[in-house]
Amino acid sequence: MKEELIISGRMNPGIDPYLNLWHWQIPIYLFLGGLAAGILFFAALYSIMGKDKEMPTTVKWAPFLVPLALTLGLGALFLDLKHKLFFWQLYTTIRLDSPMSWGAWTLMLITPLSIIWVASYVKEAIPDWKWKFAWLESFEGLVIRYRLALAWALLVLAIILGIYTGILLSAFNARPLWNTSILGPLFLVSGLSTGIAATMWMSKDPRERSRLSRIDLILIGIELFLITHLFMGFLASSAVQIEAAQLFLGGQFTVSFWVFVIVLGLLFPAVLEILELRGYHIPMAIPALAILIGGLIFRFIMVEAGQITRYLY
Amino acid sequence: MNNKSERGTTYLNPYVSGFLLGLVLLATFYITGRGLGASGAIKSTVVTAVDAVSHSHASSSGYYSQFISDDEHPLNNFLVFEVLGVLAGAFLSGALWGRLKFKVEHSPKITSRTRLLAALSGGVLFGFGSQMGRGCTSGAALSGMAVMSTAGFITMMAIFGTGYLGAWFVRKLWI
Repeated sequence: MKEELIISGRMNPGIDPYLNLWHWQIPIYLFLGGLAAGILFFAALYSIMGKDKEMPTTVKWAPFLVPLALTLGLGALFLDLKHKLFFWQLYTTIRLDSPMSWGAWTLMLITPLSIIWVASYVKEAIPDWKWKFAWLESFEGLVIRYRLALAWALLVLAIILGIYTGILLSAFNARPLWNTSILGPLFLVSGLSTGIAATMWMSKDPRERSRLSRIDLILIGIELFLITHLFMGFLASSAVQIEAAQLFLGGQFTVSFWVFVIVLGLLFPAVLEILELRGYHIPMAIPALAILIGGLIFRFIMVEAGQITRYLY
Repeated sequence: MNNKSERGTTYLNPYVSGFLLGLVLLATFYITGRGLGASGAIKSTVVTAVDAVSHSHASSSGYYSQFISDDEHPLNNFLVFEVLGVLAGAFLSGALWGRLKFKVEHSPKITSRTRLLAALSGGVLFGFGSQMGRGCTSGAALSGMAVMSTAGFITMMAIFGTGYLGAWFVRKLWI
């Protein structure tokens, strides 16, 4: 092994002149994690509210996407690791002050629980389905009996997962664009919105869709509010934060952020959803796709732009 | 003001919509300092695709190399965003007037397949021609005439004149 003496981060081309460590894997993972959190949150919420009959797609069918999204997302995270074979060491410790530790443990819990949740609805999707082992059949009965408890666990874990995708960035106190506590709620709300978009797209029931659509409009409103305050906070802060905000207010990310995230990813689908609620015929795929693509681009931009912002010059 | 077509769908009076389009053009000049365009966005997409497949081919080609530079991505162009806006706006207008349907419009005497093939061939010819003539109906003719450019008037006459002359040969696609 080659021994290196590191006396300053400024000798490291991965850190200086700007952070150049996180590539496509991270935003993809943040997007899929947020999407999974969003779908599971509403599945759990409507189960707890006892509305699984009225909202079948939300509670039963959309969660089928979750294990897939989480597996792909974790696969992307794994690809990002430098020492891939050491990933298990995350599970040798619990560190409450580390967002990565929170995330690792949350994923360790939520991934199998989401698979169990989905598995308990397999028989409703495929009536002839038989589990291969008797113990699986009895385990299924147990899960169905305690579904409410499972829903509560998923509800809490989904919120932690959604917030953590933002906190993961905001815990980097050396990157002014990330180091703001708004990022946690912002990523949570954006994740909930993408989760709703995916569910809405799958749903065939107009009443379920219009209920989801109304919630989504509120979420889009909250997202715009949080983004406004994100920038107001930056602009009212010190020079490095103002400079970070300038990347979006005239700098290199201005067009991509305002066009793809704000206009095409939030305002355009919001207008379409309002039209749909007013009785116009709108193919659900269009607003749903716009929200999903907007959410994906939002994470790419935040990860990319955050790495450029810095304190040291 | 509104014309009822055979299908019972409401369309705006063409003179009114032409006037509105003119106002859009005026606003574009005011906001962006340049005119509208459509073929430019397709050109940027083609350049990006060629550059992605073979950067060396794109940078040695006399045509593609004009649009490639190290600090500007070819897709980072006003016309690309304008066309995205056109798509979003057309979608909204279709939704508002109840015309959002997946369909291929064609003469009853030809099939959808023929119509699509004819449209594709026409599109290829028009794309090629627009690059030879440095712009299409929007970029060269419309925006050009708006600033009283001689080339704009010539382009307009050439495009529509050729259209009238050529229409006779492809009339069976429509009547």
